[in-house]
Amino acid sequence: MSSGISIRHDIVPQLEQLLGPEAVFVSDLQRYSIDGVLPTAVARPGSAEQIPALLKIANEQNWTVVSFGGGTRQQVGQTIERIDIVLSTERLDKIENYDPGDLTIAVQSGARVDSVSTACAQHRQLLALEAPAGATIGGALAANESGPLRAGFGAPRDFCIGVNFVTGDGVKGRGGGRVVKNVAGYDLMKLMIGSFGTLGVIVSANFKLFPLAQQTATFITEFDSVAQAIQVRDWLLRSPLAPISAELINPTASEYLTNRAPRDPDSWAPEAPSQQKKRWMLALRFAGSDRLLARCRKELAFASPRDLTEAEQMAFWRAVAGFEATAIERHRNGMIFHVSAPLAESQNVIEAAQGAATDYNFVASTIARVTVGTLVIAFLPLAVDPPGATQFASAASHFRSRLSRGASAVVMRCPLEAKPQFDLWGSTPSDIALMRKIKRAFDPNNILNRGRFLVE
Amino acid sequence: MSHQDSAIQTAEEHGHSLQMGESNFAGPDRPTWELYATCVHCGLCLNHCPTYRVLGMEMDSPRGRIYQVLQVDAGRLPIAESFVTHIDRCLDCRACESACPSGVQYGHIVERARAQIEQHYQRPWLARQIRSFFYRHVLGDRKRLSQIATLLRFYQRSGLQSLAQHCGALKLIGMAELDRLQPRVDDRFFFEQFGQVFPASGERRARVAFHAGCIASVAFSALNEATVRVLTKNGIEVCVPAGQNCCGALQAHAGFRDEARALARQNIAAMLDDRFDAVVTNAAGCGSTLKEYGDLLREDGQCSDAERFAEKVKDVTEFLSSIGLRPPERQMKLKATYQDPCHLAHGQRIRNPPRELLRAVGIELEEMPHSDQCCGSAGSYNVTQNELSMKILDAKMNDVSSTSAELVVTANVGCMLQLRAGMDRAGLNLPVKHVIEVLDECY
Amino acid sequence: MFSFGIASKLKKIVGRDSVLDRAEDLMLYEYDGSLARGMPNFVVFPQNTEQVSAIMKLACSEQLSVIPRGAGTGLSGGAIARRGGIVLSLARMNRILEIDVANLRATVQPGVVNLDLSAALAPQGFYFAPDPSSQKACTIGGNVAENSGGPHTLVSGVTVNHVTGIEVVLPDGRIAQLGSKSANAAGYDLPGVFVGSEGTFGIATAITVKICRLPESVATLLSIYDDVQDAANTVVALTTEGITPAAIEMLDGWTLRAVEAYVHAGYPLDSAAVLLIELEGLREAVDEQAEIVSAVCRRAGAREVRRAKDENERQLLWKGRKTAFGAIGRVSPSYYVQDGVIPRTRVPETLRKIEEVGKKHSLTIGNIFHAGDGNLHPLILFDARDEQQTRRTLEAGREILEFCISVGGSITGEHGVGMEKQDLMSSLFSDSELEVMARLRKCFNPDSVLNPQKLLPSIRTCRETVMPGHASLDAPVASGAELR
Repeated sequence: MSSGISIRHDIVPQLEQLLGPEAVFVSDLQRYSIDGVLPTAVARPGSAEQIPALLKIANEQNWTVVSFGGGTRQQVGQTIERIDIVLSTERLDKIENYDPGDLTIAVQSGARVDSVSTACAQHRQLLALEAPAGATIGGALAANESGPLRAGFGAPRDFCIGVNFVTGDGVKGRGGGRVVKNVAGYDLMKLMIGSFGTLGVIVSANFKLFPLAQQTATFITEFDSVAQAIQVRDWLLRSPLAPISAELINPTASEYLTNRAPRDPDSWAPEAPSQQKKRWMLALRFAGSDRLLARCRKELAFASPRDLTEAEQMAFWRAVAGFEATAIERHRNGMIFHVSAPLAESQNVIEAAQGAATDYNFVASTIARVTVGTLVIAFLPLAVDPPGATQFASAASHFRSRLSRGASAVVMRCPLEAKPQFDLWGSTPSDIALMRKIKRAFDPNNILNRGRFLVE
Repeated sequence: MSHQDSAIQTAEEHGHSLQMGESNFAGPDRPTWELYATCVHCGLCLNHCPTYRVLGMEMDSPRGRIYQVLQVDAGRLPIAESFVTHIDRCLDCRACESACPSGVQYGHIVERARAQIEQHYQRPWLARQIRSFFYRHVLGDRKRLSQIATLLRFYQRSGLQSLAQHCGALKLIGMAELDRLQPRVDDRFFFEQFGQVFPASGERRARVAFHAGCIASVAFSALNEATVRVLTKNGIEVCVPAGQNCCGALQAHAGFRDEARALARQNIAAMLDDRFDAVVTNAAGCGSTLKEYGDLLREDGQCSDAERFAEKVKDVTEFLSSIGLRPPERQMKLKATYQDPCHLAHGQRIRNPPRELLRAVGIELEEMPHSDQCCGSAGSYNVTQNELSMKILDAKMNDVSSTSAELVVTANVGCMLQLRAGMDRAGLNLPVKHVIEVLDECY
Repeated sequence: MFSFGIASKLKKIVGRDSVLDRAEDLMLYEYDGSLARGMPNFVVFPQNTEQVSAIMKLACSEQLSVIPRGAGTGLSGGAIARRGGIVLSLARMNRILEIDVANLRATVQPGVVNLDLSAALAPQGFYFAPDPSSQKACTIGGNVAENSGGPHTLVSGVTVNHVTGIEVVLPDGRIAQLGSKSANAAGYDLPGVFVGSEGTFGIATAITVKICRLPESVATLLSIYDDVQDAANTVVALTTEGITPAAIEMLDGWTLRAVEAYVHAGYPLDSAAVLLIELEGLREAVDEQAEIVSAVCRRAGAREVRRAKDENERQLLWKGRKTAFGAIGRVSPSYYVQDGVIPRTRVPETLRKIEEVGKKHSLTIGNIFHAGDGNLHPLILFDARDEQQTRRTLEAGREILEFCISVGGSITGEHGVGMEKQDLMSSLFSDSELEVMARLRKCFNPDSVLNPQKLLPSIRTCRETVMPGHASLDAPVASGAELR
């Protein structure tokens, strides 16, 4: 399916007619460029009701549409060759309903994750959605964002209880609702989460909230090898302890958790791990009363952990959550993987990344969510003899070839010039044929994020 | 509701000839609406039913059997081969009653269904003769039972049995399994003790009537004698009233309710006596039936006597544990596992007393998985439904061998026979004992 | 109507003793745990995935519908053959394929009984978290189809939160893999969307689930009230206090008296309501929270708060709750159980509404709630032999669910839509929303071969024709005992 017969010069007047002139922009498009491709127009509907009509026309006219929240993940996936309309949700930023007594919240998709979190925190409640700074609710869901808190509170699929969206041909869809337990109808939340805007435009979503912990403690234990760290992880999985975060940080990754001012991004090089005294770090965070935290401390005593102070904790976890951003900030040519693998494979994934990176002149910096089985791995190019475009592809394929069939390793970011060289999504244990059918059913003319996703 | 109509429509559309109409039940002992309507077909019984666990089909589940009863009553299902097959297959172990939240009296339903089958269904000639002979003329007739037992004893002792086993003749005629299940007939029958009184040793703490059972009296005399010894050693005077007879359990389970009623009347007349603190039995199957004489004789004038009698009936483990054991002379330092007899655990809701008694004599109990699931013995089931019974038994042996027990204890003679046959089949070498036999060794 | 041929083809696939085609056998598959009835033409008992696939291919070519069935404990008619066809019983695919402690996963065949899996995991200190009240009989395949919950879903989530991989046989017989042992897989979350599809997407033939550590410590509190509204308010108060118990169950006075007669759990007969509150986790946390919870309960007006002394007492308290539906069978020959969900804060007014509805229709309504997540199970008692009363019962049920919708709730929290609540789907979802769902179903099950006429209201499903009266619950009742 490709461009063909669309009449693109009509786009702006038609949009203006539909949404009102104040909602259509043709200037300042740079902000909305994706992989260097500029959209023809930016639509910023002021009401969710306008979206079905917009998509209906786009579908009929074969205008390609990219939904756009905070723009934090627009670089994911293959480059979209042509963008007729960027559909920005920035004006749909309201909290529609929040009754703290129900521990649920209903939010429009353009609301910033951080501002919704702040609103919840005022009632000592937690929205467990973690996303890059500036991300919106809709974007965070579409990208299936998660962070260190996933160990304790799950992923968006576990706490998103309802979603409203519009399909590629402008039909309003909904899954779930505002109550925490609900099996009426198909679970369309699961479909929208992680679909990267290829099945529909998320208009609003409902979440289950959690009581905010009174206090937390963070224990850092250090190891000389990944094997030792994984041993402690295995012990942890069988112990009664239930950390809300459990991250294994490899020696090079810890460099990106400090506040050192970035040097010139193009010449910054990670220091070679062998020359460092740096060690593997297992960071465990627990929530609860003094007695409970004392118990955790006691149980962990054998690994002689270091206790972070309140201020250190805040800074540390912010840095962990921001690891990916920091790494990219310092290495514009970095390649970031999001890996998901069976728990017993954690060490293998870490070592495979290390091996593949070294072979192709990268250094692998890894943060592994070790009780969940997801990993963020940054392949950072060495300043000496930096890798060429094909080397990204080779490193990725080398890395992936060492993973089991149940694992996925998605490239979330890599240099633009490397993108055409390889499959950014990699293989999936799930059935591709079904995914394609679903894509066609929800976006019959393939106007949403055309060419970007795994199903293409 | 509408779906029910649709079911019928569906049935008709597809050419099935199931029509609603007049009830196919008639005569006495009908399963009533009040009995089966308590079933809300929630299905919680399924996984507790040994036949469902083996066969995995609704027809062979408690819910399904109740549904079939209901359909017979609604005139949609005849009392014919299919109905009879599935009702016959029921072990009447009543594990479903323990599982049932609605308190469905499944045992009552199935026994009535069987009574209806006996009234309205022609079994094949041979089966009819055998069943009638066995249920009408053997169990309740001390003389005839003794004669048959004597014959069987001759077969067992004369070398005929071992000849038959070794030459493979039994295998040839498909009787090898059945042969393995038969009890060893006693040299002296317990019937000789009928009418005796055994005084309590030491201070008398209670006086009981002992119900000795029919088959137990020709094949388990030693157990009966042990029961008397354990009771008397514990300060209990034991009378064995001469007028007692078979409890009628097998008859009632098989649908011969009139025969069972006649026996019930005899037993009540012989043993309902204020001199006795209790009527004690060492057989779970007998105990459960004795305790249900009230239901059996409901249509009789004797109902209130029957209920008073039923209240007095105690399983020997229940009775001993309620008055407390005297300190045993010896402790038995063994690791054992206990198999709940269905008619004790489900029929009488007695689970802890036998275990407490075993612990009291020093036994360390290790529970096997599914200890309260039927072993497949179920009265005469292992004979009439041998193949299925053996499948159930093999599963039981798996559970037994998953423990490190050196001894298997149960509290019912039928279970003992079955479990011993199971040991044979599985090549396990564990002794199988009755709780009373264990206690007897300690006094 | 059907040729002898189909039966013999089915027998060729699964074996002679694994096909039922006689009317007297088929009628045993016309019911499940619900009020619905419908007789299939065949029942088959496959033993492996390949057989399931062969059956699906045959069904497709013969245009027969296929209705998957686990233990038949469902409460919404999901396993009922609405227009004949093949009931595909998974009862014999009941092997636990793998317990993989290192990956915290177990892989099971669909016919494995929920509690059997937990029992198999217990020696290693693990369990399978979803705990529907029917867990001693219901199968994991059924849990996947219905996205089953249970009392403890408050803290541990429903089935979908515990499934990461499914092998499914699609209606055309193709075997597809959805997800794996990993926490997530690249691409769309297919296992996520498959769970809860009520047998309309495919047949799960192997299911990979998360296994959870058994908690170190568990405390079960029984909070006793003289006023049912105080009990309702306690639930909101606990939320405000920032405590998330593992479960909060509520039984009203009428229900607890019915249950007590059976279980003797120690529920006080003169009370208006009890809350069963369970806390689990590390000893320290449980002990502290138990104290806070007790205080909150008392402040909200509890007359007494008891804590189960030992495991026996705890089991007994839970037995009362878990067997509550069935125990009602002792009181009333028939009952109709609802499965509405409301926001927690609306519990007090919903209780008032239910009482009102009961009065209006002169019906006794007992209430059992998963109060912590606002999932209510009103039990409407009636005598199915009384046609008038039966009508009023169904009407009352509908009024209650419509109230749930009006306060922002849902018509089913865990029992599923099935054929029972199909009509109400149109009150909950708009036409376009239902159309989107129908599109999704078409991706998996284009010709509605699998479990036709379920879940989505009949008008949505253009390919299916429905006989008038079938989809509604208001037709006259033929014979009493067939209803609860």
